[in-house]
Amino acid sequence: MSSRIRNTIRELRAGRSMTQQELADLIDMTRQTVNAIEGDKYSPSLEVAFRIAHVFGVPLEVVFQYEAGKRGK
Amino acid sequence: MSRLSFQEKMLWGQLLCLAIVVVFYAHYLQHAPPGHRFLHVFLIVLLLLFAFVRTLMRRRSGNVVEDERDRSIAAIGARWSNIILWVGLVVIMVVYWDHGSLDSAELLIGILFHLLVLAGVVRIVRELVAYRMAA
Repeated sequence: MSSRIRNTIRELRAGRSMTQQELADLIDMTRQTVNAIEGDKYSPSLEVAFRIAHVFGVPLEVVFQYEAGKRGK
Repeated sequence: MSRLSFQEKMLWGQLLCLAIVVVFYAHYLQHAPPGHRFLHVFLIVLLLLFAFVRTLMRRRSGNVVEDERDRSIAAIGARWSNIILWVGLVVIMVVYWDHGSLDSAELLIGILFHLLVLAGVVRIVRELVAYRMAA
């Protein structure tokens, strides 16, 4: 279930000493979903992606990158 | 970090309830004479109990317990369940058309009961697999 969308959530979170649960609470998601997004196993909706970028105060493309060359399963 | 989510715990609970219903059906209801309302009472009690436990657990958890990922996984499970139900119903109709009649209403109820159980089990297992694959 891996995706072609990569993200830097783990690094952004670590930089702010934020736990998965804290991020999940801020974006109204479950901790398990945050974990799945971080592991590139789930691609969130556009709205959730924007919410995550808003929490970190960075543009969307800093959080999510699309790898056009690779094919997902 | 892959502790069971609220939805996964509920799915295991549903699987357990389904197993209890099947055991109850196989041991008591299948051979009981008509007119007994065991299953009705039993199912209602089980449903109320499950709803109570679910509400209690939801209240105790201060965090979000369901989000878009849970809903998309539930949709996958529902799709599989629908396929089983459709195939089962078509098979029943084909058997009916082939034979011209079913042996008894009891047989039909038995087939429908097992079809529902099968569809339920497939839905739950598919959702559990989806959760584990994306955990």
